[in-house]
Formats: sequence, structure tokens, C-alpha cells
Amino acid sequence: MKSINNFKSGEIVKIKCVECGSAFKHRISELGLFDGSEIEIIKNDNCCPIIIKIFNSKIALGQGEASKIYGEKI
Amino acid sequence: MAKKFNLVIGLTGNPNVGKSTLFNALTGARQHVGNWPGKTVEKKEGEFKFEKKKIKIVDLPGSYSLTAYTEEESITSDFVLEEKPDVIVQIIDAQNLARNLFMTIQLMELQRPLVVALNMVDLLENSGMSIDFKKLSKLLGLQVVVIDARNKKGIESLLAAINKAPKRYKESNLKLTYGVEMNEELLKMRKFIKQKEGISANKLNWLSLKIFEGDYRALQYLTKKAYYFELKEQLQKSTEHLQHIYNKDINTILSNARYGFIKGLEKEVVTGIVKKRKNFTDKFDSFVMNRFLGIPIFLLAMFLVFQATFKLSTPLIRLINSFFVQFSEFIGDLFLKYGLPKWIASLLTDGVIGGVGGILTFIPLIAILFLLIALMEDIGYMARVAYIMDRFMHKIGLHGKAIIPLILGFGCNVPGIMATRVLENKSDRLRVILISPFMSCGARLPVYALFTGIFFPTNQGWVIFSIYILGILMAIIVGLLFKKFLFEDLSSPFVIELPPYRYPTIKGILIHVWEKVWSFIKKAGTVILMFSVIVWALASFPVGVEYGSQNSFVGMVGQVISPIFEPLGFGNWQSAVAIIFGFVAKEVIVGTFGSLYGASDQAGFSSLSAALQGDFTPLSAYAFMVFVLLYVPCVAVLAIVKKETNSWRWPFFLALYTTIVAWIVAFVVYQGGLILGLV
Repeated sequence: MKSINNFKSGEIVKIKCVECGSAFKHRISELGLFDGSEIEIIKNDNCCPIIIKIFNSKIALGQGEASKIYGEKI
Repeated sequence: MAKKFNLVIGLTGNPNVGKSTLFNALTGARQHVGNWPGKTVEKKEGEFKFEKKKIKIVDLPGSYSLTAYTEEESITSDFVLEEKPDVIVQIIDAQNLARNLFMTIQLMELQRPLVVALNMVDLLENSGMSIDFKKLSKLLGLQVVVIDARNKKGIESLLAAINKAPKRYKESNLKLTYGVEMNEELLKMRKFIKQKEGISANKLNWLSLKIFEGDYRALQYLTKKAYYFELKEQLQKSTEHLQHIYNKDINTILSNARYGFIKGLEKEVVTGIVKKRKNFTDKFDSFVMNRFLGIPIFLLAMFLVFQATFKLSTPLIRLINSFFVQFSEFIGDLFLKYGLPKWIASLLTDGVIGGVGGILTFIPLIAILFLLIALMEDIGYMARVAYIMDRFMHKIGLHGKAIIPLILGFGCNVPGIMATRVLENKSDRLRVILISPFMSCGARLPVYALFTGIFFPTNQGWVIFSIYILGILMAIIVGLLFKKFLFEDLSSPFVIELPPYRYPTIKGILIHVWEKVWSFIKKAGTVILMFSVIVWALASFPVGVEYGSQNSFVGMVGQVISPIFEPLGFGNWQSAVAIIFGFVAKEVIVGTFGSLYGASDQAGFSSLSAALQGDFTPLSAYAFMVFVLLYVPCVAVLAIVKKETNSWRWPFFLALYTTIVAWIVAFVVYQGGLILGLV
């Protein structure tokens, strides 16, 4: 298990743990990102926000936020 | 309140699903549609007639959920809960059914008549999938209608469904269960509240669920109650119990339950396999969001926007200008020929045509600028810019998303400031609000166009470009100072949806541009006309003085103030007067110069040009433009800052500090230029 900013583009990740503040956690869970959901890493340049695909939408997520979301490669 | 309408509809849905497009299609209204999340920040009302019924429709800001988290999201839940619309219409993007259904479920939890409008089905089918909307309707137990908001298809059947909805509505028998333990705890909570307070079953269900989610509104309601302390205990007991069983926090349990249910639904109604090939959006993104190319492409795009604005508008401006010159001469001749009073001729030519005409000349400039900015919004590039600029923005202590309001500010600062609502955190928002007036708005352009046309005719484009850059630099510097001395660190999280690119709705954009231009013309016909007449009158009296001379009223006022601007290189009293009137709206500056110097003296506008050349040097003209760029934004901006910050403190502070900054920078430019030997 590692934080999602450590995955490479193209990898599919199953989210295991979300460790951020409750308001933010709530917000991303509305987008479909929560403990148990599956996402795809679209783009991770390690410099800028990472882009992930949740369901059928692309979401850009700051590195700081991404570092608090953990998951496992499927 | 007397009920004026037969039916009140609330229009809701995720961001970017076509709410505003449908709203426009239904009401014939002309709301601008932008392709970035959070475009509609306030609810907008419209009305139309259907089968002799008068229907009111309220377009709510897009949100992903009904649990209030940001200001814009609480607008939606407030409306649904407080104003109790007869029907709620949720628009769903068929391409993203699962996420959209998350909100559907929450809407159903509110237990109001609900109609689902399935939009963008064609796009889904293009990707090789199909959706069984009848089955979806059956499974959800509510009416689902397929529409195509862009091409106005399916609107009739949607209206028919809306019409039927209140009568057809019955308590939903939705088979959504949150799990045995969760349901038990929910039941306990319901019993607890019911015991304390007699409220409707709807509200009871909603309240007991939302209090678990930690919803802001539910909390606000309950904290006022005498039994709140007891309730809190109950809540804590339940929460701990659940967390112990599931080993997850409450919101995760609920999300899992809701999405579990949705996944089941989706499997039933959506067929086809997602094609794995890259679509246009992906290809284009890999280019414009490239790590190295992203920022250069963005800068190039902005440069092209401004170049195109000037290049395309110049011939049109010349045309309009020559029209007003001839018109002014025609009036002058007419009055001379028929021996009509000279003062009326002066009022019309010096005052009205000089002021109003002077400003109308620059319409093409503003129209083209707005057109290009709207185009950037419409195709979906804005959200990408937030991504591209995030790293840079962080270096200057701002948030990636802050770039959106700042770019919009180039058109007009007012919508720019309203767009700061994309930022969740209040202090982040305030910081962007306070620096956004440095983004040189469309109304300041006529001033630059006038001055550069006279003093820098050969490299007009570059000089104006430098003013814009100076504005951006000042925003950065002041932003950094604020970061250091006024505000704590950033805290808004960076999350933004990147919508698929789409063709701009040409008609929509043209309507949007026309509205901006029309409001500009209206302003020219009202405020600017009024001030032109006031300036003219002040310049003509007391009786007997030479028009626009320093012995006139306006001359006296100007002379009192002008010493302040002496060190900046424009100590002439006309500039002082123009700067004061520019507070009303920055384009009034051009109108004031037009009225003061008189635009009619046979040679028309060239007299203004000659007069300005007498009072300014290229260096002092540049210092003047710098001052106009930076000093107190117009009244409309201060009013919106008051509204958005909910206090008079910030607009007052804004007015004061920008003017001080303007004076200092213009001083440095002018005195520095003198030292360098420029004139």
C-alpha cells in the first residue's frame, strides 16, 4: 500500500485508506474517491497535480492531497 | 407570499452536465454557459409557460452532493429544503451515470417529486455504449427522460414529465439500504428526534441521516435545540459503535453503501464495453497539459488573445471614430446654418459626442476580448489552466484554481471576483479578491488605446501588453506581501474536474458577447452620458468662462487636486478631473477627456489628440496609464467586493491600498524615466 502520488500513469488503483481532513475527505467521496473505490492514474508527473480517472471523469488532485490517499495496484 | 406560479421547478445536477443550457432552452434566457466546474455560482430564476401553466424555474449551482460543504453547495440544499419546489429536475450526464446517480440518491432522500433528465446520451452512444432509460426509471421509481439540451430535443417530453411529477409522486420504495447496523442506528436516531420534536417524516429521515454525515445545515438546525447535548451523546455512541463494526468512518460507510447500490444499478442499465482508445480530449490534453509545453502554450494562447483583440479591432475602431467625427461636424454645421444657440451645439458636440462617442468608439475592442475569453471558457480550457498553473501559483502563494477568476478579470473584474467562489477557503478567496483588480479589465483598454494611439503609434500593441504584464506583476508582488503579512497559509485543497472538450456553442457565445457589449452601450447611454453632461456643465460654468478653461468649475476642482499628481508627470488639472470621474467607471476617463478637450473643433478627434499632446509627454502618458491600471477599481467592483466579503472593511481597504500602490508605482515609473533621460 502506498499513497496514490507514487503510482505511475496508467495504473489502476484500489483505494484503501483516505487520511485527510474530514471536509476534504467528504468532498472527494462525493466524486467517487473513497475507501474501496477503484481509480485509474491518468497522469503523474511528480511535479504537478496528478490526474486520475474516477468513473468516467478526469479529476486533477494536488500532490499534497494525493499523498494522503493510499491504495494498492490491481 | 402570494403564489404567482402554478409550478416551481428546481434545476439541479453535477457541474457541467448542461444545466444552464437546458435553462436557456426552456426559458429562452441567455445565460452564459461555461465549460468549467462551478460556472453557475448563484441560483438564477426564469419563467415560461407550458399548457397554460405559469412555471418558475430556478437554475441551481452545480454540485456533486447535497451535503453542504461549500457556499455554492449550500445554495442548492437550502433551496430544496426551504423553498420546497414542486418538482426537482436533475440533469444527468449519461457518460458519467454512476457519479451523477450519487446525487440522485441524495435527492431522493429529500423525498420531493423528482424527474431525471438524461443528457448527452448521444455522446455515450458514440463511445459504443447504450443505456436503458426505461429500466433505470423503473429501478429508481421515478420518471427518466432522455433529452439533448444543446439541440433542444426531448424538451417537450421533459415538460410533460415535470407536469405529471407532483401528482404521480409517492413515497419512494427505493431499495437502498445502508447495511443492517447502519439502518439500526439511523432508526435509533429517528426515534430519538421524534420523541423530542414533532416534525414531518421527510424532515426526520433527512435530518437523522445528515446529522451522521456531519452536514452543516443539519448541525445548524440541531445545535439550536435544547436537546442537542443529549443528541450529541446519542450520535457519538452510534458513530463509535458503527466505526467499531465496520472499521471505517461513517462517511465511508455511507459512500460505500450508496456507490454499491449505484454500481448494481449501472450494471443493469448500461450495456457495452468502454473502448480503450484515446479520445480527442486525451490527445489534446497530453499536448496542452504537457509538463514542459503546458505553460508556454498557455502564455502563447493569452498572447494571441490580446494580439487578436487589437489587430482585429483597429480597423473597426477607425471606422466608428470617423463616423463620430463627421457626425459632430454635421451637428456643428447644422446649428451654424440655422443660427441655433451655440451652447446647445457645444453640449451636443463637446459634451455628448465627445464623451459618449469617445467611449462607443472602443466597442469592437471590448467585444473581441470578451468573445475570446468566452471561447476559452466554453471549449473547456479554463479548468486545464488551473492545473497547468498550479505549481507556479503556489510559488506566489496562490492556488491553481485562482487563475480562473484572474483570467476572467481581464474581461471584467466583477465576474472575476464572483468566480473566486471556486476556492473553498475564505481567506484564499479574499486574497484573490484583493489582487484581482490589478488584472486590467476591458474598461481600462479604451484609456490605453487612446493614449498609445497618440503617443506610441508605432508599437501600440507592445506598450499595452507591457501595461498588462505590469498589472500581473503587481498582483504577484502584492499577493506575496499579503501572504507574508496578512493571511495564513493556503488551505483550499486542489481538486478540480477536467471536463471533456467540446465545441463552443457559437450562438451562446455570441449572445454572451452581445450582452456584455449591450451593457457597455447602456452604460455609455446612461452613466457616461450623465457624467459627460455633468463634466460639460462644470466645464461651461460659471457663465462667461471659456469652455473647459481653468476658470470653469471643473477647472477649479481639478486645480485643487492636480498637485497630488504633479510628481507623477500629469499635473494638468484635466487629468485630475478624469481620474476622479474614472472612479465611476474607468471608461469615463476617456469620456471626460473627450468632453473637456472638446471633440468637435472642426478637426474632430485630432483636437483631442493635439490637446493631449500638449499636456502629456510619452513618459507621463505611460505613467498615467500605469496609474489608471492600478488605482481604485470602479464602483461596481467595490460593490461586488462588499457583497462577496459581506463587510465594508474590504472594499474600503481595497480602494485605499490600490490607490496608494498606483501612486507609488506611477511615481517610480515617471521619476525613474526622467533619471534615465526619457521624456
